Amino acid sequence: MLLFREGSREAFEELFSRHHRAVVRFAWRMTGDPFAAEEAAQEIFLRIARAAPTYRPTAKFTTWMYTVARRTTLNYLRDTKEDGEKVPILSEGEREDGVYPVQLPGPDDRNPEQVVWEAQLTERFRTALGELPEGHRAAFVLNRGDGLSYEEVAQVLGVTVQAVKTRIFRAREMLLSRLSEDVSA
Amino acid sequence: MDCRDIRESISACVDDEASPGEAAAVRAHLASCGRCRVLERQMRAVGAGVRQVRGTVPDRFREKVFARLESEGAIPPRRKTTSAAWRWAAVPLAAAAGLGLFLLTSREAVRGPVPPDPATARVETSAPGASSPQGNSAALSSEDREMLALLDILEDPAAFDANDDAEGMELLAPGDSADSPNPPRGGRSEAWPGIHSVS
Repeated sequence: MLLFREGSREAFEELFSRHHRAVVRFAWRMTGDPFAAEEAAQEIFLRIARAAPTYRPTAKFTTWMYTVARRTTLNYLRDTKEDGEKVPILSEGEREDGVYPVQLPGPDDRNPEQVVWEAQLTERFRTALGELPEGHRAAFVLNRGDGLSYEEVAQVLGVTVQAVKTRIFRAREMLLSRLSEDVSA
Repeated sequence: MDCRDIRESISACVDDEASPGEAAAVRAHLASCGRCRVLERQMRAVGAGVRQVRGTVPDRFREKVFARLESEGAIPPRRKTTSAAWRWAAVPLAAAAGLGLFLLTSREAVRGPVPPDPATARVETSAPGASSPQGNSAALSSEDREMLALLDILEDPAAFDANDDAEGMELLAPGDSADSPNPPRGGRSEAWPGIHSVS
């Protein structure tokens, strides 16, 4: 990024090559839609390039990149919402007994039926993920999807580590609750 | 500890983010609570689920991003490939030119300072370094011309002056005419002290 700031196009091309898959994945997980993900991902790289003159290496580049990515997708989702498409917020329906009537595949559960079921489950999971509150979804995606630590997620979201811990726990509960509703229906 | 109070810690344990004390408390609770063991397994599975939502890089994504960046002037323009190609082509051309120089000078070295011919001595005494243009062109082989053309391509006149060297070669050629209409540029024959000593 520092080389790009000094005018090296090759540096930005290298940066793009290294990170574009992660950016597209993040945008996909946050928006849940391929067209929205592409729009958001393009915008993320535009913002990264525009921000180069003011970039300061005070944190890991990826942490800074995800900060840009999260803000960009958040703005994108807000714009979409203003255009009429609602971003649904799931009610936090915690079960009293803490056990959800859903069978989720474990690492040892591999057979053809399981694979088909997993494909269906993945689609339901994607839908449920899109219904999480944005802050919960971002925390959960950054930690479980992109491998950022709670500390790094806290930096990206601008919240405390404890807040990240709570958001990720709540995201898990909401996802399990939603997937259980699908199974019960 | 109550199940409701420990669930958040179970989630942190699944992510390897619990403190040592918290992790110990979770292990102790799970050892005695079947429901929370099921929940712990579900929490792991739902954490893995997010990695199944991968998406794919759209077609021509790179081209689209760079087109937008270039249209905004957000990145420097791509260097022209022609200039890059010329830079690479210059390497073998320079090598060929170097070889040409070597061949020309070594040919002269092989000839060496020839014994003075009366005609040559006359040239030196009457008009130092004189030679004829006809003689120049006759002395250049097609290979020499090719080498000189390469030098012209490199546009480096300081590296080698074709006419001067050709004239120098002619000075050494026996039987050259003394009444040449084109005297050489000054100083060239200074490089061959043997000629001067003859006069």
